[in-house]
Amino acid sequence: MKTLTATALIAFGSVTFAISAHAGEVLDRVLGKKTLTVATSANWHPASFMNDKGQLDGFDVEVAKGIAKYLGVEAQFVTPGWDIITSGHREGRWDLSMGQMTPTAPRAKLFDFPAVYIYGNTVVVVHKDSKATKPADLDGKVMGVPAGSSEENYLKHTLEIYNAPPVKYEFTPGEVKSYESGSGARDDLRLGDGVRLDGLLDEELAAKEAIKAGYPFKIIGGSLVSTPAVIAVLHEDEEFSDKVAAAVKAMREDGSLSKLSIKWYGSDYTALK
Amino acid sequence: MLYPDTVESEVLVHKPWFVGATFVVVLAAFLMFNLTGTTMGELMRPVIGNPLESGLYGRFAIAFVIAVMFSLNLVLIGFVPLKLQIGVVWVELLVLFIGFFNLFNLSLPFIWEKLPLLISQGVLTTLFVSALSLVFASMIGITAAIAKLSTNGFAYGLASFYTSFFRGMPLLMQIYLIYLGLPQLGIVINAVPSGILALSLCIGAYMTEIFRSGIASIDRGQWEASRSMGFGFVLTMRRIILPQALPIIIPPMGNTFIGMLKDSSLVSVLGVWELTFMARTIGQPTFHHMEMLIAAAMIYWLMSVCLELVQGRIERHYARSKVR
Repeated sequence: MKTLTATALIAFGSVTFAISAHAGEVLDRVLGKKTLTVATSANWHPASFMNDKGQLDGFDVEVAKGIAKYLGVEAQFVTPGWDIITSGHREGRWDLSMGQMTPTAPRAKLFDFPAVYIYGNTVVVVHKDSKATKPADLDGKVMGVPAGSSEENYLKHTLEIYNAPPVKYEFTPGEVKSYESGSGARDDLRLGDGVRLDGLLDEELAAKEAIKAGYPFKIIGGSLVSTPAVIAVLHEDEEFSDKVAAAVKAMREDGSLSKLSIKWYGSDYTALK
Repeated sequence: MLYPDTVESEVLVHKPWFVGATFVVVLAAFLMFNLTGTTMGELMRPVIGNPLESGLYGRFAIAFVIAVMFSLNLVLIGFVPLKLQIGVVWVELLVLFIGFFNLFNLSLPFIWEKLPLLISQGVLTTLFVSALSLVFASMIGITAAIAKLSTNGFAYGLASFYTSFFRGMPLLMQIYLIYLGLPQLGIVINAVPSGILALSLCIGAYMTEIFRSGIASIDRGQWEASRSMGFGFVLTMRRIILPQALPIIIPPMGNTFIGMLKDSSLVSVLGVWELTFMARTIGQPTFHHMEMLIAAAMIYWLMSVCLELVQGRIERHYARSKVR
């Protein structure tokens, strides 16, 4: 609701134009306005989604609130599309983005990654009736992924994780279908094996959620690639990045990060085992 | 004939050639699809036996029954008064739609539970965005229309460039350009104002053409007559031209606005919490997408119906002179 109030106030006043903030003063702006504006998705349970009261809730949201508390400010959330977030064109509209972004080399050119806050695994998901038993069985098949995601990079063999050894690709799909979001891919796969898709790539926990909710899927093979999920900020303010990194480190040390992971995901995924 | 006159003729749906032609067309259309696997096939089990094994005979029987029901429906409707005919057709189509939606096995309690949030947050934002865009688009439209009709080269050039540019690219791209592109010039606008600005500019371009065509449709004699009485441009427009042009402008204008109500859903890519955004996100945690999408679709339809009623009222007001 804070988002709506804030944007409604701005709109009601008049259609005003605001001059963008100077680079390098993100921390000053955050402390001055006493608000940390966080860009996140509203469409990704349980990382960030809309709860029954119409507010944003979830693991990402609570980590962001923890960071804001460390900085001594309030957290405010905005929900632009993922493609707008990853385009790097922020123009002072938000201070950092929480979307469990995978730190790839091209993204590292646009963003700073102050902290890893959770580790995810990319897995292959197929329909229950599929005859595939290992990822290599999906050579030459039709695979679905969200557009602009690291899963799409994996299928196109262009995934380079920042600060990590090169990715070993276990199979090459015949066709890659990009969807606006993961739910589009899942809805097409649930129509049946081979009807529109032969399989899709998904983050392991999201896939398990879908199966629990009754989607007729199964996960085959183990983790294709372990993806650290990072907070993304622009290359603007070193002080701000350091503060964010310190905030996450503090949350790790006092155990609140692990507690949040257990609360939302059922176990602690915040550290490499 | 558009206006009923004194020449009497038999109602179209009672003419044998018309009914026969409809029957043949519907029969041919339904023969093209294999409907034996659907509920229709199940209903026809007593006649054709096991639907999946009935082959061509089954398909023909199903198509025949549907064609007979359709033609009978058409003929019987012709016997009742006009208003009742319209009511009956609407009821039949609504029943068909509800039958279609029943196939989805929607969870109605879920929709009922989430409806208040959908309406209070989504509908209000959509209405707010659409209403403001409507006002600005009309203002831009009338100004640019007059500019396009003038002999001033600067005004004409500006207006024609504006309409060409903003009709020439998809609304979604205009929204992205304003939200992501303007900041390059140092102008940073937030999500809701960006959406309103993009919608106003785009719909304003279409409104310009609608206004221009309405004004240009007024006979040249009217302009000459008003000049002969010593009227200037503004007085002519106010007293002579616009009152005659408005009945022509209202239907396409209402049409565009009803369309814009749905185009406002594109603002959801900027993260504005309007109806489409709410529909997509509320259903997401529990994977109830279809429920929310259909609920939002129905709400859009209801809002459009309200706009249609308003438009109808305005049209009737302007058509008073045509009533005999």
